[in-house]
Amino acid sequence: MRKVAIIGVGITPFKTRYIDKTYFELAYDAADLALKDANISHQEVDSAVYGIYNDLFERQFMPDIFVNSYLGLNNKPGTRITTGGATGGYTVRMAYSEVVSGLSDICLCLGVEKCNDCYDKQTGTTTPEVLNAIAYSTDMTWEYPLGMMAASSYVSLVNAHFDEFGNPSEEQMAKVSVKNHGNAINNPKAQSPMKITVEDVLNSRIICYPFKLLDCCLYSEASAAVILAEENKAKEIAKKTGNPPIWITGVGAANADGFIGNRESMGRLYSNIYAAKAAYKMAGLDYNNIKNQIDVAELHDAFSGQEVISYEELGFVEFGKGGDWIDDGGPLMSGELPCNPSGGLIGCGHAVGATGIMSTGEAALQLQERAGKHQVPISKGRAISHSIGGPGAAYAAVIVMER
Amino acid sequence: MEFKAHEIEDQIKINYKYSFGGQSRYFLELKNHKKIYGTKCIKCGYVWSPPRINCSKCYAPTEWIPLKDTGTIMVSTIVWYGTSEFLVSIPYGVGYIKIDGADTSMLQEIFSENLVPSKIKKGKKVRAVFLKERKGKATDFFFVPVEEYDSWIKKPEYEGGSE
Repeated sequence: MRKVAIIGVGITPFKTRYIDKTYFELAYDAADLALKDANISHQEVDSAVYGIYNDLFERQFMPDIFVNSYLGLNNKPGTRITTGGATGGYTVRMAYSEVVSGLSDICLCLGVEKCNDCYDKQTGTTTPEVLNAIAYSTDMTWEYPLGMMAASSYVSLVNAHFDEFGNPSEEQMAKVSVKNHGNAINNPKAQSPMKITVEDVLNSRIICYPFKLLDCCLYSEASAAVILAEENKAKEIAKKTGNPPIWITGVGAANADGFIGNRESMGRLYSNIYAAKAAYKMAGLDYNNIKNQIDVAELHDAFSGQEVISYEELGFVEFGKGGDWIDDGGPLMSGELPCNPSGGLIGCGHAVGATGIMSTGEAALQLQERAGKHQVPISKGRAISHSIGGPGAAYAAVIVMER
Repeated sequence: MEFKAHEIEDQIKINYKYSFGGQSRYFLELKNHKKIYGTKCIKCGYVWSPPRINCSKCYAPTEWIPLKDTGTIMVSTIVWYGTSEFLVSIPYGVGYIKIDGADTSMLQEIFSENLVPSKIKKGKKVRAVFLKERKGKATDFFFVPVEEYDSWIKKPEYEGGSE
């Protein structure tokens, strides 16, 4: 099998709103940053894969073709991915497939999302309308009419996990929020850097029992890109840039049942489990010992409680022990496996299609020791990125990277 | 020159007239007879709720079967901040309910005279309350704790309870 590496990373700041950019202008910024990082021109790109989740956000169906036009990539293949919060991870998977298959030698993997043009007139704010645009991703016959939305969908899984294992407690979830907002202080691209306490989180307004405002990520506007290349090109480019190629050694993805009520146990994110096992197996790593085989993990923490559950499902700790692990400081910057040094979604922000590509790019920058003030020590030379989303967190993707 | 944005208001609007396809009988039974139906696989016997006309487990056809109007809460939450469509409804309870006789759980709203988490927690028995004016939609009924059933059906908009 051909070897595939990340050889360029471009991430725009995550912001509440880019009033000065359209989605395709924002996409251009990340493409330009990534191409410059790889020291190549857009003409050297063989294909592109675009991660853009929600047509209603962009106010445009098939927005990818207009991104493709703006990036000057006409007459080359371009494919769009949309898998909810897992769009980024799935887009990396598709770009990997382009290169590993030999269809492309160099592939631009780009995610963009611009949600806050959605506007709710009754409150004069954007968020309720953004949430409505997202809620159209729940089943339109059986779930949307009953008021299902992202938070109530994820909280159902977390509450079921609590019913089964007695955790995560509200305090344990709050600790994830404190960690991720705190980590974001050292990430200049983050939307929500904050020094807060567990009490601040517990006292923030209730959103969906027991999630509070500070347990939830904010929806952001941003773009992120990574450039993937086959081995010879990757080495050639690395020689010019001086940045080591970051090899993608494991790619795993899985879709759990889109109806939570059909699942064997509701307190599991089955998509996480199957995606992680597939990615680790491909990379020759051990699901039961993964915590000791990687240096850093960029996780999808749309909601604090979901990050705690993910510790278990990604194999960092046993089932039911995620809450204890955050209590023990395991995922902190100083802990045994730093999780979300970038701040993750809670700290950096959630620009859906861009998020998983930001996470993958951040993990690659960590392995290249170019993460800046939020750099973690690299000794094993391996990292993972994780994306999850869709109704009931049905879609998940895990990417393993090695220096 | 300083950047100045040009903003306008707009909306995407599409009208539909759609069929519920193979699931139509569920909504007709709900609307016309206040009955909750599931489907049972003729091969493996698995009972789907919401119903499926094909069994996704063994690829055999299913047959329609009436389910009870009672069930058990498998998981629930109370929503305090909603989408623009549901801001007027908050706070509201929703949860996955395994209707007696079904093998899967369905999402439904859960109402209570005193809507607190302990009232609608896992394991609580609930009973369906049907709207008097039904349209053949998922919102034609909701669940309440069984002990509150008698008081809910006395309300004029839910008059009569189940037949």
